[in-house]
Amino acid sequence: MSESLLEVKNLKKEYRNEDVVTPALNGVSFKIEKGEFVAIMGPSGSGKSTLMHILGFLERPSSGDYFFNGRNVNTFTDDELAETRGKEVGFIFQAFNLLPRTTLLDNIILPLFYTNVHKREWAYRAKKVLTEVGLEHRLTHTPGQISGGEKQRAAIARALINDPAVIFADEPTGNLDSKSGLQVMKILQELNDHGHTIILVTHERYTAEHSKRILKIKDGLIISDEMVGNRQIADGAKELIK
Amino acid sequence: MNNVSFQLAISSLRRQKTRSILTILGISIGIAVVITIMSAGKGLDNLIMGEVEMYGSDMIEVETKVPNTKKTSMENAMGQASGVTITTLKNKDLEALLSHPNISSGYGMLMGQAIASYGSINKSIILMGEGYNLQEVEKFELDAGRIFTKEEENGLAQVAVIGSSLKEKLFGDEDALGKMFYISKKPFRVVGVAEKRGTALFIDMDSIAIIPTETMQKKVLGIDYLQTIVMKMKDADKSKETAAELNEIMRVQHDITDPNKDDFATTTMEEALSILKSIVGGITFLLVALVCVSLVVGGVGIMNIMYVSVTERTFEIGLRKALGAKNHDILFQFLLEAILLTTCGGVAGIIFGAIFSLVVYLTAVSYNLAWIYSIPISSILLSVGFSAFVGLLFGIYPARRAANLDPIVALRRE
Repeated sequence: MSESLLEVKNLKKEYRNEDVVTPALNGVSFKIEKGEFVAIMGPSGSGKSTLMHILGFLERPSSGDYFFNGRNVNTFTDDELAETRGKEVGFIFQAFNLLPRTTLLDNIILPLFYTNVHKREWAYRAKKVLTEVGLEHRLTHTPGQISGGEKQRAAIARALINDPAVIFADEPTGNLDSKSGLQVMKILQELNDHGHTIILVTHERYTAEHSKRILKIKDGLIISDEMVGNRQIADGAKELIK
Repeated sequence: MNNVSFQLAISSLRRQKTRSILTILGISIGIAVVITIMSAGKGLDNLIMGEVEMYGSDMIEVETKVPNTKKTSMENAMGQASGVTITTLKNKDLEALLSHPNISSGYGMLMGQAIASYGSINKSIILMGEGYNLQEVEKFELDAGRIFTKEEENGLAQVAVIGSSLKEKLFGDEDALGKMFYISKKPFRVVGVAEKRGTALFIDMDSIAIIPTETMQKKVLGIDYLQTIVMKMKDADKSKETAAELNEIMRVQHDITDPNKDDFATTTMEEALSILKSIVGGITFLLVALVCVSLVVGGVGIMNIMYVSVTERTFEIGLRKALGAKNHDILFQFLLEAILLTTCGGVAGIIFGAIFSLVVYLTAVSYNLAWIYSIPISSILLSVGFSAFVGLLFGIYPARRAANLDPIVALRRE
């Protein structure tokens, strides 16, 4: 049996604030294989963000196991977590999280600062990923000079620059109009078609239906795990994709 | 990695240009002041040493002292200044001292104020009684004429060697040699005009008149004692032993058994130099210590800018950590920023310090002081080293705070 890309077993997380204990995850187990496009869907407060943070190596679970490529993440040091974030994970955030007053080029190469990739290769990689998201003409623009949709596409480029094993998208369309949102989903679907593993976190059924599999989460528990029967295909933005 | 961190630090300092420049300014002023003070210390040192060195390091003096006081004590200085006159130092003491094998020559000296007059011009001057062998003991050159002779001295001749400015004031462009003028209403003949000497021990040597000591004793003041006996040693390295032996000779002369009752004191130039050096050194040290406080203030400035910067850039730090930055990457970036700030402050401070010191030098020179322009390497090392230390010390706290931020919390705070 081949190893899953990631697997969690009875994952629990609770937040302690003085005497108040707030449970966020109450025992979650599932596997995600390489090349999947999974949506984690649930209302706010369901624990989906916490789950994504743990899967994205930003947080440690209170108990339970998380295996990434067969390695138990619980044994990772803080530095190993950081290194794994930099090498294996690409993040796409709802609020884009681009550095203001900094050119797209400089924003996109940010993850490369913390890798061994040689500096000579940086500009080449940046141009390649910006071309993939259709922003090759925006290299020297700053986030203030471009639209929301373009910002999110820049953020996708940044997520791609280290050629990560998995891309996490946390409400990537939440701050966008529907047309720009559709363009973003189109890019994600294209990336998945090219073999990228994508984990999408959303509370919208319509957005979630662009994925291939939906994990529904509520009150810190997985309440359903189903393949998408009637998958939404985001076209109409074809000209953006190479 | 290092090169990259360096660029990162520079670019983030650039993004906060005004604040960075103000911080650099704060540090550079501290450093500039340290350098200026230490440079001025050097200048002052040179000035004072110049005053003393005019006499040469092989000089040794026996001077009067109030018994039961130390020669460098306030009681002695105040006693003599307020009119306690010690009248026990005599010409025969000079003869006894000259018998010491390490003394090559010497003369008795008197110093006092007098009025010099020529025609309708009256000048208050410092009148010195010195020996015919003056040139054997100290550096003394003449512009014109000669020093009085032994015969003139023995014969209580009323002859004078005058300083170059005094010559100007009394005689203008006229030739002064052979002219008669009056000192304390007694006629004196000018036999020599001294070369310009500047100041020595803070007396303007160009405005004095020198007459034979015995003439001063008997014809001007009507006394039979001396204030100081000035001598030259053959071997300046033996100054300590010589001073002790001269003390013994003096005690025999004055019939003193208890050294506390000494009515004289022996001073070598070496000793005088070391006293002055320690005074200048002490003052410089005190000033530098005070200025180091301003460097600490500069350090707090760095801490402040770094602290604000960490708070403002919480989002950026969180993002960097989410994108793979390890704690030490962030720590290093912020420390590097602190180091860059202090380094820039250091360079600017050295430049400002050099300029301030030059201004001090030019001002001192314009007042005719024997100043030198020198920037001691130690001042640069001290100030830059100290501020780098302070910068690091105060940079560490905010940098650690940044490094330990939780990326999730940091990202939420956008």
